[in-house]
Amino acid sequence: MTKSVVVKNLTKRYKLYSSNKEKMMDIFLPKSYGEPFYALRDVSFEAEKGDTIGFVGINGSGKSTLSNIIAGIVPETSGSVEIDGQASLIAVAAGLNNQLTGRENIELKCLMLGFSKEKIKALEPDIIDFAELGKFIDQPVKSYSSGMRSRLGFAISVHTDPDVLIIDEALSVGDKAFGEKCLEKMQEFKERGKTMFFVSHSIGQMKKFCEKAIWLEFGKVKMEGSIKEVIPAYEKFMDDYKKMSNKEKKQYREDAFKERSEEKEAVHS
Amino acid sequence: MVSMFKVLKEQYDNFHLINRLAAYELKSANNNNYLGSLWELLNPAIQIAIYWFVFGFVQGRKPITYDGGGTYEYFPWMLAGIAIWFFIYPSITHGSKSIYTRLKMVSRMNFPLSAIPSYVILSKLMPQLLLMLVTIIIFQFMGIPINIYYLQIPYFLVATILFLFSLSLITSTISTIVRDFQMLVQSLMRVLLYITPILWPLGHFGDTFQFVMKLNPFYYLIEGFRYALLGEGWFFIEHGWLTLYFWAILLVFLFLGSYLHVRFRRHFIDFL
Repeated sequence: MTKSVVVKNLTKRYKLYSSNKEKMMDIFLPKSYGEPFYALRDVSFEAEKGDTIGFVGINGSGKSTLSNIIAGIVPETSGSVEIDGQASLIAVAAGLNNQLTGRENIELKCLMLGFSKEKIKALEPDIIDFAELGKFIDQPVKSYSSGMRSRLGFAISVHTDPDVLIIDEALSVGDKAFGEKCLEKMQEFKERGKTMFFVSHSIGQMKKFCEKAIWLEFGKVKMEGSIKEVIPAYEKFMDDYKKMSNKEKKQYREDAFKERSEEKEAVHS
Repeated sequence: MVSMFKVLKEQYDNFHLINRLAAYELKSANNNNYLGSLWELLNPAIQIAIYWFVFGFVQGRKPITYDGGGTYEYFPWMLAGIAIWFFIYPSITHGSKSIYTRLKMVSRMNFPLSAIPSYVILSKLMPQLLLMLVTIIIFQFMGIPINIYYLQIPYFLVATILFLFSLSLITSTISTIVRDFQMLVQSLMRVLLYITPILWPLGHFGDTFQFVMKLNPFYYLIEGFRYALLGEGWFFIEHGWLTLYFWAILLVFLFLGSYLHVRFRRHFIDFL
């Protein structure tokens, strides 16, 4: 099997500034200002062609940052991501222009992805068909409901035929029928040997669809393996976490935050 | 140097993309207005009328005489110069904020970000061409006929576009990193209208003042269009030194802009 995504010692550091002055000084002066915050620290994993991998973890554990970095939207601070082919991210608010109609957005989005005029013309009917927008396709996107928006975004992304697909909570907005349709489409992708990453809080969808899972906790990989191992462990953790008193929860989060803002060299395993 | 060729190659490779995006830009800008794209002409027309009222009518400017011999009424003289200003002004203010306002739309890293300022500028060019056409038609009725010097227009258009692009590479990078810069650009542009010899002729002033004013690269562009539209002469030949100076400035801007753009573009998203 060939590797399709190789992530090595990936670290993403943000800076938290207490004031605009601090931010300015950090940009212009060589000395570092502001408090560092590690959204991801020393994350490494590999994905093979045809893998479907779910990212699980509580809010703020770095799932979306990781998907954005794999999709190439956000640059990493250190470490590397190697991707064989083109990656595409599907998120709920997938960069649609509110002033333009659905049809115009399709062309705009495809243009930005680098497709030729002929290719766009050929793709357009399929996308419109998949999005099921009816007459709304010629209305400005600002008049769409959130479900319609995500349907359009999803339809565009899957038809642009990426090699690596990252789905960040995009299915949770659509209704069940559309969700089924998307899963079907993704099944088809899987059979064609494409790599997919799936970010969702719906354990049910994840179990149905993914084979492997990566559990992120506070910016680090806590567990990695087949879905059968990771999900029960994660569910157990969630149960424990829920059982904690509010004070314990707070303590737990504070400890984690402290660790994430520590400046230290990544330990290479 | 490497960045400069990289940026220029991106423009060439993405020519179709830039064209289509410019068309959409124009469309989405006027979608909400009932008069639609007509505003691209109405807006300059209203401003020109005001400038004529204040400077031409209230202050009663005398006709302008050039050394070359031509004498022109204030209104056609002003119109010939200010027409291109309605391309320069929005190109600079929108070009400067082009990257940080559109970065979210792009959502993929290998999108050639240097195409963003260029398509924004190109979208301003289309109404400009229309405005220039209207100006030429008006001139036919004012006794300033089509002349051989019109051949300069394409040259000055290319020079203007290249200059605006180079400048926008610099301003769009800085204003993405430091948002305040956009405010500065907008204020400066309002000032620039009055300190560039657009609404007033340079002829009456002393040599030193004239020299300093001519260092403003926009003087070269405005006066070039004026010579062409009024049929005064071959501006870029008659003012050879100014031509050299203008292109030198342009190259410096392009070089600096490309360097800054390529150096920072990977991190633009972190500044949002």
